[in-house]
Amino acid sequence: MNPVEFGQIAVNAVLLSGILALVALGFSLVWGIMNIVNLSHGAFVVLGAYLTFYLHELVGLDPFITIPIGMVVLFLVGFVVQRVLINQVIRAPLLATFLLTFGLEILIVNLVNYFFKADLRSVTTRYTGAGLSLGPLRIPYIRLAALFISFALVAVTAVFLRATRPGRAIRATGMDIDAARLTGVKVAQIYALTFAIGTSLAGAAGSLLSMIVPFDPNLGGTYTQRAFVICVLGGLGDVGNVILGAILYAFVDVFVGARLPEMSQAFTFGVLVLLLILRPQGIAGKKFYA
Amino acid sequence: MPEQRPTLRQWIGLTVTGLVLIGMLILPGYQSPYDLLTYTRFLVLALMAQGWNLIGGFTGYAAFGNVGFFGVGAYTTGLLMLSKWHVPFFPALFSGAVLAGLIAVLIGLPVLRLKGHYFAIATLGVAEAFRQIADTWDSVTQGSTGIDLPVRTDGEFFYYSALAFVVLGILVTIALKRSKIGYAWVAIRGDQEAAKMLGINTTAMKVLAFAFSAVFAAIAGGLTAYQNIHVTPGDFFQLEYTLQMIIATIIGGTGTILGPVLGAGVYQLLSTYVWTRFLELHPTVLGFIIIVFIIFLPRGLMPVLTGSIDVLRGRRRFRWQALLANVRAHRVT
Repeated sequence: MNPVEFGQIAVNAVLLSGILALVALGFSLVWGIMNIVNLSHGAFVVLGAYLTFYLHELVGLDPFITIPIGMVVLFLVGFVVQRVLINQVIRAPLLATFLLTFGLEILIVNLVNYFFKADLRSVTTRYTGAGLSLGPLRIPYIRLAALFISFALVAVTAVFLRATRPGRAIRATGMDIDAARLTGVKVAQIYALTFAIGTSLAGAAGSLLSMIVPFDPNLGGTYTQRAFVICVLGGLGDVGNVILGAILYAFVDVFVGARLPEMSQAFTFGVLVLLLILRPQGIAGKKFYA
Repeated sequence: MPEQRPTLRQWIGLTVTGLVLIGMLILPGYQSPYDLLTYTRFLVLALMAQGWNLIGGFTGYAAFGNVGFFGVGAYTTGLLMLSKWHVPFFPALFSGAVLAGLIAVLIGLPVLRLKGHYFAIATLGVAEAFRQIADTWDSVTQGSTGIDLPVRTDGEFFYYSALAFVVLGILVTIALKRSKIGYAWVAIRGDQEAAKMLGINTTAMKVLAFAFSAVFAAIAGGLTAYQNIHVTPGDFFQLEYTLQMIIATIIGGTGTILGPVLGAGVYQLLSTYVWTRFLELHPTVLGFIIIVFIIFLPRGLMPVLTGSIDVLRGRRRFRWQALLANVRAHRVT
């Protein structure tokens, strides 16, 4: 590996880490607050990607303008899903929520497949190919913008969780549900809000991804897995852990992908199992978003 | 020892099981080869579900990677039959089952230390790693091209073999459930720390459950491989098999003896019906079934069946609210 190649791979890893952090943050929030491993998380990424694609193709909106629209739509979808479905079984043994979200994932992905077909789609604009050249290194503008938007959204979420009443209510519920209830927090609503934030962040990530990679309805599954690995790497607990996990994961993924593309998943999972056994709480993890 | 008279419920169970078994034995005479294939699929699924029930149902560990052992069984059976020794089918099948069991012990020792979600995802990852290994290990598995087993078109052979294994599986499950092992599994599911305090070697028991489930999956894999002839990593390591065995067990009732078989039957029936009517929406319906069962009947159909026997005998009154019991118990307000 020569220095230029190394540099380009490192740049790619940094550019990738933004979207990964965005996907993983929603996943981590839902997991940390409600103890739900949301296997349908990737399906919401897919919904975001298709929303951007169709708003761009049919209405002619700039893909970046579609991001807030997609986030609002997915916020509502997520709120309803949690309120109507997941809240019903949330206190059942773990397998229940696990399988419920799995059923949801199959359902959403197959419906997307049915209505939008399995063709590979991509969003192309005037500025798709354009990029910045730093000596021999290339940085596409869209990826750079995606990186900034991702980290901006991550920062907004972090501030929301820390400094607003609903944000504090979410964290309080995650710490001690009974104490939160005693102080007047409406737990069912807060759970729905938490899930809705998760899906809306997933939707934003999907919108960004649709501009960067060609996608089909099966895009989501890999992102659910990645979000999981990132959460394990960084540990649950707070937004900083997610960012740390995303950056670590991006580097491992990009470097292994460049060397041994066929074995990347086996490798990732090998590392994951090892890490889980040696340090089950993640590298810097605590239990909740305290 | 005083003679124990079977209760009425057991009599009904035995009679129904016996009738179904006789029906299954004479069935091939009345079916087209295609229908027979569907019934064989059901039996193979029942076998996988029986295996999953041991780790997922009795022990309460959500294993999401059992398709890995299905694939190991398929490949071992196939490769031994194709090897220069030309191993006959059944010895090859049993070797596959033993190998899968050994691999399950090796993987189970570290992975079963994980709990909850972590265990589930780790097993998911192990199965995916198996698929990639089968895909890349060209010199043995011929990579993504796959291998072709000797052809055998005798549908009844597969049907009766699968039936025999399912009956054997029921007997094994009964024996295990009544042994110390079965009680240890249920204790682990209830409270692992407490089980350990009682002197149960939890690690050994969990690994045993995992290994048993792998043996069942490997036999199912070997049978399917011989029947399908062509074995590829993409087909024999697909997540869908894992899902099917979990769904079948949940539909029937986790931790019960006949639940997985019943669930496999109901699943196969639904699945075939949906396939013929709405081919493209098949997974949607599947997802929908999972959601409905998880919300309303997470303990499956077996408790409903035994409950309705009580209702018929007048021991209990029918209350439709029973259907909402699960939601009442587990919802958050």
